[in-house]
Amino acid sequence: MATLRLNGIRKCYPNGITALHGIDLDVGDGELMVVVGPSGCGKSTLLRTLAGLESITEGELTINDQRVNALEPAARDIAMVFQNYALYPHMSVFDNMSYALKNRGTPKDEIRRRVTETAQLLDLAELLDRRPRQLSGGQRQRVAMGRAIVREPQVFLFDEPLSNLDAKLRVQMRLEIRRLQKRLGVTSVYVTHDQVEAMTLADRLVVMNGGHVEQCGTPMALYERPATRFVASFLGSPAMNFLPVTAHRGGVVLPNGNPVALPVAIPEGRAATLGVRPEHLIEATSVADATEVLEVTVEMLEPLGADTLAYTRLPGLEEWLVVRLDGAHAAREGQRLSLAFSMAHCHVFDSQDARVPLADTEAQACQ
Amino acid sequence: MSAPFQRHRITPWILMAPQLGIVLVFFFWPALQAIEQAFYVEDAFGLSREFAGLVNFKAVLSDPTYYQAAGTTLIFSLAVAVGAMSIALLLAVMADRVIRGARVYRTLLVWPYAVAPAVAGVLWLFLFDPTLGLISGLLGNMGIEWDHKLNGAQALALVIMASIWKQMSYNFVFFLAALQSVPNSLLEAAAIDRAGPWRRFWTITFPLLSPTAFFLLVMNSVYAFFETFGTIDTVTSGGPGGATTTLVYKVYQDGFVGQDMGASAAQSVLLMALVGGLTWFQFRYVEKKVQY
Repeated sequence: MATLRLNGIRKCYPNGITALHGIDLDVGDGELMVVVGPSGCGKSTLLRTLAGLESITEGELTINDQRVNALEPAARDIAMVFQNYALYPHMSVFDNMSYALKNRGTPKDEIRRRVTETAQLLDLAELLDRRPRQLSGGQRQRVAMGRAIVREPQVFLFDEPLSNLDAKLRVQMRLEIRRLQKRLGVTSVYVTHDQVEAMTLADRLVVMNGGHVEQCGTPMALYERPATRFVASFLGSPAMNFLPVTAHRGGVVLPNGNPVALPVAIPEGRAATLGVRPEHLIEATSVADATEVLEVTVEMLEPLGADTLAYTRLPGLEEWLVVRLDGAHAAREGQRLSLAFSMAHCHVFDSQDARVPLADTEAQACQ
Repeated sequence: MSAPFQRHRITPWILMAPQLGIVLVFFFWPALQAIEQAFYVEDAFGLSREFAGLVNFKAVLSDPTYYQAAGTTLIFSLAVAVGAMSIALLLAVMADRVIRGARVYRTLLVWPYAVAPAVAGVLWLFLFDPTLGLISGLLGNMGIEWDHKLNGAQALALVIMASIWKQMSYNFVFFLAALQSVPNSLLEAAAIDRAGPWRRFWTITFPLLSPTAFFLLVMNSVYAFFETFGTIDTVTSGGPGGATTTLVYKVYQDGFVGQDMGASAAQSVLLMALVGGLTWFQFRYVEKKVQY
């Protein structure tokens, strides 16, 4: 079992592009750390530096407090599941899974025992003689997992392993990965661009953007207290609504003059951004603490079954205001709705897009 | 076939006609003539001929020089195919790893293919000329007596080298393309799976190159059998003492130098059968080892 520590990891390419600007991260023993971010944010590069497929320009990488910066991938005792699975096409499933063990010189009968065990764990026992080409997408994915598991490595690395599967299989394999990881208790780093996958799998979540770590913490902590506007917009679907506001008399004012009584410490007259998730916009009639009521017009409806998303507009404002309504709600396009912010769930970001703590609610939450 | 194609029944034939015409005139017609001629005995001036049944075949098959040529062909073809393919693979692997100036290397390595066989032959002839050759001079300084005009083994080695040099470029292009189509993630996965560079090459890269290698094996065999004629003719003319007379060269010698059309035609027919059989064998047995 292993702990993984990244200390100021920087990665610069010879062409002058810096992919990672000093990443600090601690992955605990048996923890499943999910790295999430948009494409090009450096998350795959980060994983490849952990694997040893990319060199580290600066900083220190340790596994179990042992510095591994200069070690070859083979010597790091890690296993990686690739996005395209990278199964050896000319080898049977058995040979694919036993390749690493053979390279290590493991005795034949032990290889057979371990591969058989792993195959049973992953429901692959019937497929051991097949070639990767003869398998379905989901089966290939399981073989790729099996190839990693059979080695009993210190660390698992997952590089978007589910992105080539269809939606249904993705949900199924997500649960499977979660179950296996908990059962085997192997320290894991999982890279994805899918925020749902990230939220559901992670023990802890790292949101990356432009080669920086934006925030790290448990999924719910990041969801409820996003440190930056980027994290707020990246997690949650549909995305958080952002409205430009100006600080005024200890609260903020919407561009149309609508005041919102949020206790934020921003100098008077300074511009800021108010963020509120679609589920935290509530019909005014049903909420007690709805201090400020907004009158909006429903312009479009997206019925999702359990919920209906209403795309509404506040008079005098460019931005959509997306509201999550109950699926049974009788809203029609063109209808007017009275909405209230759920104050405890509002976020204010300053002009640098960093979160500004709210005096009252934050204090309550900390108690 | 869809309707628009149905209406143009003649167009495809017109488009293919030039190619078909060339194949018919330069391949099928001579081949059929050779088969016909193999059963006739003709006088030296080509004025009269008479049907002779299998006499030509019997004469060829009881001629010891024919077996000598067959042996030479075997050694020559094997050496050329193995040599040209392994050197090309080595060069392709190295060129694949080069990042700076890769295009220059690749272009330079392809050039020999553009050289005509006879010109390539003359080039090597100059380099190894016993009296004024550059390399033969160097070999002489090292105490190696080089005279391919007298030494049969050296003559064979020389035509083999020239033929390999010429064919290598062709193989290089195919091997390089195949190497570049091996997904990088496979090699990365193998590196993580504790396979060193040497083992990665033999257990991952090489098996994935096998379809290309098989294709090249067939092409190189055909090349060694037929297309090396120009090189052999300019470098050694089949000598000394028939040491570099391959089967195809003997067809030319007996037919166009010795004017024995019947014997030459019979040899052509045997050669066609031999190469056909070899290609069948390669597809039947070697292809099974190929990983597609």
